[in-house]
Amino acid sequence: MKYITLLYWVLFCSFQLNAQDTVQVRQLDSIRIVAQRRLRDMGVQKTSLDSAGLRNDITGSLAQVLSQNSTVFIKSYGRATLSTASFRGTSPSHTQVTWNGMKLNSPMLGMVDFSIIPSYFIDEAHLYHGPGSVIVASGGLGGAIALSTRTIPEEGLHLHFIQGIGSFRTFDDFLRVSFGKNRWKTSTRIYYTSSANDYIYTNYRKKIFYYDQQGNITGFEYPREQNQNGSFLDFHVLQDIDFNGSGWGNWNLSAWYSRTDRGIPLLNVDYKENTSVRNNQRENAFRGVIRWRKLQQYSKWEAKAGYTYTDLLYEYKRDMGDNQWANMVHAQSYVNTFFSRLETEWYINKWMFSGNLTVNQHFVTSLDNAVVSVEGKQNIMGYEQARVEASGFLSVKYRPAERLGFSVDVRKDLYGREFTPLTPAFFAEYLVSRRGEVVLKASAARNFRYPTLNDLYFMPGGNPDLKPEQGITFDGGITTTHKETRYSWNGSVTGFYSLIDNWIVWLPTFKGFWSPVNVKQVKSYGTEINGSMAVKLNKNWKLSADGHFAWTKSINLGDPVNWADQAIGKQLVYIPEYSSAFTGRISWKAWTFMYQWTYYSERFTTSSNQTDSRIGVLSPYFMNDISLETAIRLPHLVINLKGIVRNLFNEEYESVLARPMPGINYTISIGISPL
Amino acid sequence: MTLKMTRTFTIILLLLVTGSCMKYGPSETEAFLPGPSSKGLFIVNEGNFMYGNASLTYYDPQSGNVENEVFIRANGINLGDVAQSMTIHNGLGYIVVNNSGVIFVIDPATFRLKGNITGLISPRHIHFVSQNKAYVTDLYREKITIIDPGTYTVTGSINTTGHRSTEEMVQWKNDLFVSCWSYDNKILVVDTQTDTVTDSIEVGNQPSRMILDKNNKIWCAASGEIYRINPDKRTVEKIFTVTDDASYSYLEINASKDTLYILNRDVWRMAADDEKFPAQPFIRNRNSRYYGLAVDPATSHIYVADAIDYVQPGKIYRFDPDGTPVDTLTAGINPGAFCFQ
Repeated sequence: MKYITLLYWVLFCSFQLNAQDTVQVRQLDSIRIVAQRRLRDMGVQKTSLDSAGLRNDITGSLAQVLSQNSTVFIKSYGRATLSTASFRGTSPSHTQVTWNGMKLNSPMLGMVDFSIIPSYFIDEAHLYHGPGSVIVASGGLGGAIALSTRTIPEEGLHLHFIQGIGSFRTFDDFLRVSFGKNRWKTSTRIYYTSSANDYIYTNYRKKIFYYDQQGNITGFEYPREQNQNGSFLDFHVLQDIDFNGSGWGNWNLSAWYSRTDRGIPLLNVDYKENTSVRNNQRENAFRGVIRWRKLQQYSKWEAKAGYTYTDLLYEYKRDMGDNQWANMVHAQSYVNTFFSRLETEWYINKWMFSGNLTVNQHFVTSLDNAVVSVEGKQNIMGYEQARVEASGFLSVKYRPAERLGFSVDVRKDLYGREFTPLTPAFFAEYLVSRRGEVVLKASAARNFRYPTLNDLYFMPGGNPDLKPEQGITFDGGITTTHKETRYSWNGSVTGFYSLIDNWIVWLPTFKGFWSPVNVKQVKSYGTEINGSMAVKLNKNWKLSADGHFAWTKSINLGDPVNWADQAIGKQLVYIPEYSSAFTGRISWKAWTFMYQWTYYSERFTTSSNQTDSRIGVLSPYFMNDISLETAIRLPHLVINLKGIVRNLFNEEYESVLARPMPGINYTISIGISPL
Repeated sequence: MTLKMTRTFTIILLLLVTGSCMKYGPSETEAFLPGPSSKGLFIVNEGNFMYGNASLTYYDPQSGNVENEVFIRANGINLGDVAQSMTIHNGLGYIVVNNSGVIFVIDPATFRLKGNITGLISPRHIHFVSQNKAYVTDLYREKITIIDPGTYTVTGSINTTGHRSTEEMVQWKNDLFVSCWSYDNKILVVDTQTDTVTDSIEVGNQPSRMILDKNNKIWCAASGEIYRINPDKRTVEKIFTVTDDASYSYLEINASKDTLYILNRDVWRMAADDEKFPAQPFIRNRNSRYYGLAVDPATSHIYVADAIDYVQPGKIYRFDPDGTPVDTLTAGINPGAFCFQ
């Protein structure tokens, strides 16, 4: 019996094993663990990324990892520039992101830039597709991503250092020092990256013409240009401390400071000289969470308190000569957020009850002091707002029989003085076959996303009358898992459908500035397919592969603006109908060769999906990357060497209009871990 | 089992590698023959900010023929980011592309490039003073740039200290009147002989479009109002209120320069001699997000641009001088400016 339950446990959550689970394992009997695990994520469409997936590439941000390892669509404006994530054809602000339980979405903008989250700073990432996002937070009309960090479980001192050197003068340094003794564990991570990011490309959007005496064109060539104003410098430090107070519960502290300084590259249709303008974005951010957790035989209590500080400066300056710079845009914002959360879980026979309450108090200041007043003086334009956001969640899960489970969840939110209506979610799953662990899953949820502070108060244009966006979403699918000593595989197929009303869009107004309005109704539906397999051929050879495919229709069903509106019934701008990613690995002894392939079908840049245009369609995107890696074991040291080739076929491309991308580029990294 | 898996793996790998080549590179060019009438209308489509998808549409009012994206089709390169205005001077078309910081010079008959002017920051409009002098206004510069339209080079600048943004220009005798649009309320007076600012006139916030009527009066649109200005005395003679909500107004004049057309949700028409703003609109808004207005200087036909949802090709509605619909055509994204050949 014990053996069987252990096997179950391995099958269901082998790659979700973490330090907290280890604590649970010690404290609870194994039968309970099985019931618990299977109850917690029952019926939920979830993608989990382990540290192996996250730690693939020192130069990689979380944006890269997500595009390679899930069906989430990453819209990236370039190398180390804004990268947003959208689930199932929704917008980036419909993806709710938490870090150690605390919301990462900016209360001003609503979205998260995944290009500034180093993948080496995340130990676990769980992606909740569609209705499952209700478990994490409200407002995830597309989905939610829960990120977390932790200390390493081993005792003693551990060091890990990585140095990466790459094309375009890119340098990455990562250091992790971990220490564990008795009840204490600590981990400190530092990451520093800098790049001139000045790759050269052939600019097919411009021509250098040659003229004769009469001014007639006699010839031309395409200029070879450098990515201008794209340099960046990021610094991150992360501290995790764990204290196991046994009877007093477990204490954990995570604190993350980051400073990013990034140039915003000029478009390839820009004729300004690089030296005459400067366009930069600088962000200082601190996030800290303290957590207390107590596990009892059939219950869990958890409390968290946290604080987030962000100051973000966006500046666009012009050179007035003599190295004097004048501001065209100088937009500065400050966000202070206080966070607290209380959570409990109870297990009674075949039932699991859980509830939590999250409160965020935001204080936001947004200023543009480059604005010149009518009197010709420097004028400050902006807003200052405080808002409390509270979210309460209750869940009941029930497994009447071993093969069958149901769950009913409800969430309700308060933002400022407004309440969102009740958000219910339903989940069900059924184990069809023990052989191959074939499980049928279905879920449905209603969801709301309330407007961001910029939507409501931005100067000029903020619209205080905005209604929350509301969505209803369903999905259903089948998963299968198989694991043996020599080979393992798993697969899933999911179909989804969702309808979002009151979609918030910023549009120009008659007054000359932009303002948000509730307009569209969007219907999205499609399929997500995931699969992976691993084979141990013999003692020395191993093969593994994983693939992800999504078919996403994301259709504008709003009322036409007028008779001429051609956007109704069309795919949303920049959402590919098909996307896919594949990773293959071949290992021989300590050597691993990896091949990665990413694909997006064509993306429209007009709401009417204009195809007769030379500037309205981005052609399908294919990307091929390879890497070769080895580990050298010395008596007191392990050295990891890795070489990465990105854009293997030296493709010239844009993945967002007017943003040229780098051709073939290389990174070598050396990792050192003393034993 | 393992052998089968290895084989599948290899096949997938081969498929992926072979099926992965992106379509990107040079744009083909087309030859356009000079039109029969040479009385066409250029429609400058702004595109979306930071999308680099501005375009140029050519419309022949006689035949009703429309050619979209003529700039990229004729030249094989993009028009750029936020095309702002176009002016024809001495048989050449000058297209000002705001956020690309460039002015393209084309042959209006073939749409082929003749050259370009760079060294600008955020150019808005061009005004020709003489054969070898033109002024270019700028959104983000306390200067009006002086260029030589013959050599396509920047030759100097006029300081507009205290006024970061300069917009539209209209000339009366040797004086050039320049509206200061962004966060400003002034019309500057520039002496075109000395290239200096000599005076300023205070109007409502955000003054933009200016025109000169048959009475030699300058009309200026600013935050929901229309100002009639005496350019000799440099004073505001009369203020006409279009709307109470300070919204943006477009302003144009007919061929005989005696009738003004104002676009602010609806299209309004008033005589240059009128002392009162009309009570009823001339053409009612058909639930459109109007984005531009033009009046044919030869036929006085009226063109109104509709941006629809701002992310799809806009529509242009053409009316005869009495306001009767004549034609509807599809242009590019955000058609904002017009230029008659």
